[in-house]
Amino acid sequence: MISSSYAGRGCDMRLALVGFGTVGQGVAEAVAMKKDLVFDRFGTELKIVAAFDSLTYAAEPRGLKPLELVARKQSGKGLGKTRPKSVAEMLRELDYDVLVEVTPTNIENAEPGYTNIRTALECCRDVVTSNKGPLALKYRTLDDLSKKNGVELRFEATVGGATPIINLSRELLMAEKVDSMKGILNGTCNFILSRMGEEGLPFEYVLKEAQEMGYAETDPTYDVDGIDSASKLAILANAIMGLDVTYHDVRRTGIRRITQEAVELAAREKKVIRLIGEVNGGGIEVSPRMVPLGHPLAISGTLNVLHMHTDLAGSITVVGRGAGRKETASAIMSDLVGLLKRNACLLNGRVK
Amino acid sequence: MRVNVDLRLKDVPGQLIRALEPISMNEGNIVGVVHNHDLVTGGRISVNVTFEHKDQKTLDAIFSAWRERGVEVVKMGEIFRTFAAEYLIAGDLPHSALRKITEGIESMEGVETIDLQYSLSTSTSNKTVLLLVNVRNKAKVNEIDEYLKTRSESDDFLLIRGTGV
Ligand SMILES: NC(=O)c1ccc[n+]([C@@H]2O[C@H](COP(=O)([O-])OP(=O)(O)OC[C@H]3O[C@@H](n4cnc5c(N)ncnc54)[C@H](OP(=O)(O)O)[C@@H]3O)[C@@H](O)[C@H]2O)c1
Repeated sequence: MISSSYAGRGCDMRLALVGFGTVGQGVAEAVAMKKDLVFDRFGTELKIVAAFDSLTYAAEPRGLKPLELVARKQSGKGLGKTRPKSVAEMLRELDYDVLVEVTPTNIENAEPGYTNIRTALECCRDVVTSNKGPLALKYRTLDDLSKKNGVELRFEATVGGATPIINLSRELLMAEKVDSMKGILNGTCNFILSRMGEEGLPFEYVLKEAQEMGYAETDPTYDVDGIDSASKLAILANAIMGLDVTYHDVRRTGIRRITQEAVELAAREKKVIRLIGEVNGGGIEVSPRMVPLGHPLAISGTLNVLHMHTDLAGSITVVGRGAGRKETASAIMSDLVGLLKRNACLLNGRVK
Repeated sequence: MRVNVDLRLKDVPGQLIRALEPISMNEGNIVGVVHNHDLVTGGRISVNVTFEHKDQKTLDAIFSAWRERGVEVVKMGEIFRTFAAEYLIAGDLPHSALRKITEGIESMEGVETIDLQYSLSTSTSNKTVLLLVNVRNKAKVNEIDEYLKTRSESDDFLLIRGTGV
């Protein structure tokens, strides 16, 4: 079954972009940069027909100019008009094919992302998102709704930034049974722990440094207490291992209490300390762990890594950049391309 | 536990399988087989097998199956392979609390050695120790993991485990 109207050559893929911060602007730039490539490959025009920030919006059925939108947003003028009603209400009225939901992650109640995504799925639109809240809290509800309505909910950008983890597992490794996963899912923590290990500096000092360099937020709770890692781990456990869990099921310890002495004692044993998320038969947990030097999980800096163990392939490790404007936009592009490929398959159309 | 045995089998086809079957039938895990065709004594050949077994009951079952099948056991030795588990413990821990933790682990069956190492620098009121434990089997590591996780919650210290054996 195909409910989307945008399948096939000569059709447009019309995006409604909700959220126009770092990621939203990155997506607009990537659309401008890659639209020719997409057209050559699929014969489809990639268009942004609506864009929203927290207060304003712009809409144009024939397509907005992505780089002009970015310039306007950066000049502090908002995107255009003041939004007269809620985004969700507008998502029911607007004509578009794919919702790209990139509003801030909210791990308390998943809003506004949850309502936006739900609305689009109810209207039989495909959804691509980088927003962790809705998936870490309401994965099954959203997954069931998308299946019921014959549309797709894609979320590669929620975990690992540019690192292709979810699509790799769900598409190329579809025939595998993943029995365990271990990974580093937060670049900020990894940066802090690497610096503590390499320079022998205390946590508070490195945290300040990370804040000055723009790697950590002013309120670092979300990162250093393992909340971000736990949300991502819950998403992976659902998406890759078929579990039915939420963020709240993750046993979680952050990195605030890691002392210089701990780092030094670990080094004596040729180990480094890293914040590791792990899912296996025994449970689902984020906590600091000692990792042997040279082990695939002993990476430094802001990188992310995921190590999976599967029944046929054995061990697979994926490493890449975990966040950033371009990196996250890259993951969103891969999801959009995934939708175009699905359309091409469903139509049995030929793709060059 | 790991066991190494020297078996004597009749030098006819199918005997090796007959000798190995009881191990897998009783949930044992074959680690290595050295088949020595040359060493024929009294029409029998010698095979050296290393395997892991679950407990004494399954080991007994393996031996009685061998007897029934006419497999001779010439020599047997236990091989103790140990697994190392490492933990860092950091927190405002009085000495007595640490002692309670190590005593808790010591009292577990299958724990071979425990070693505590302190850091040279003690910059804070926080104590940080490295706990190295050697155990007889992997399952024991999980048991110690769980024990320490529970303690870390009740005694409010930071626990840093290894990434597994
Ligand atoms: N940044 C990364 O590297 C990265 C990586 C992976 C995933 N993510 C996830 O991607 C999402 C976006 O991240 P970001 O870094 O782009 O955040 P951001 O820079 O804070 O941007 C958020 C955008 O959402 C808009 N917004 C806030 N509330 C809204 C509402 N109720 N309705 C409509 N728009 C609303 C904001 O509007 P204003 O502009 O008016 O404030 C802003 O444009 C988050 O869920 C984040 O966790 C980010």
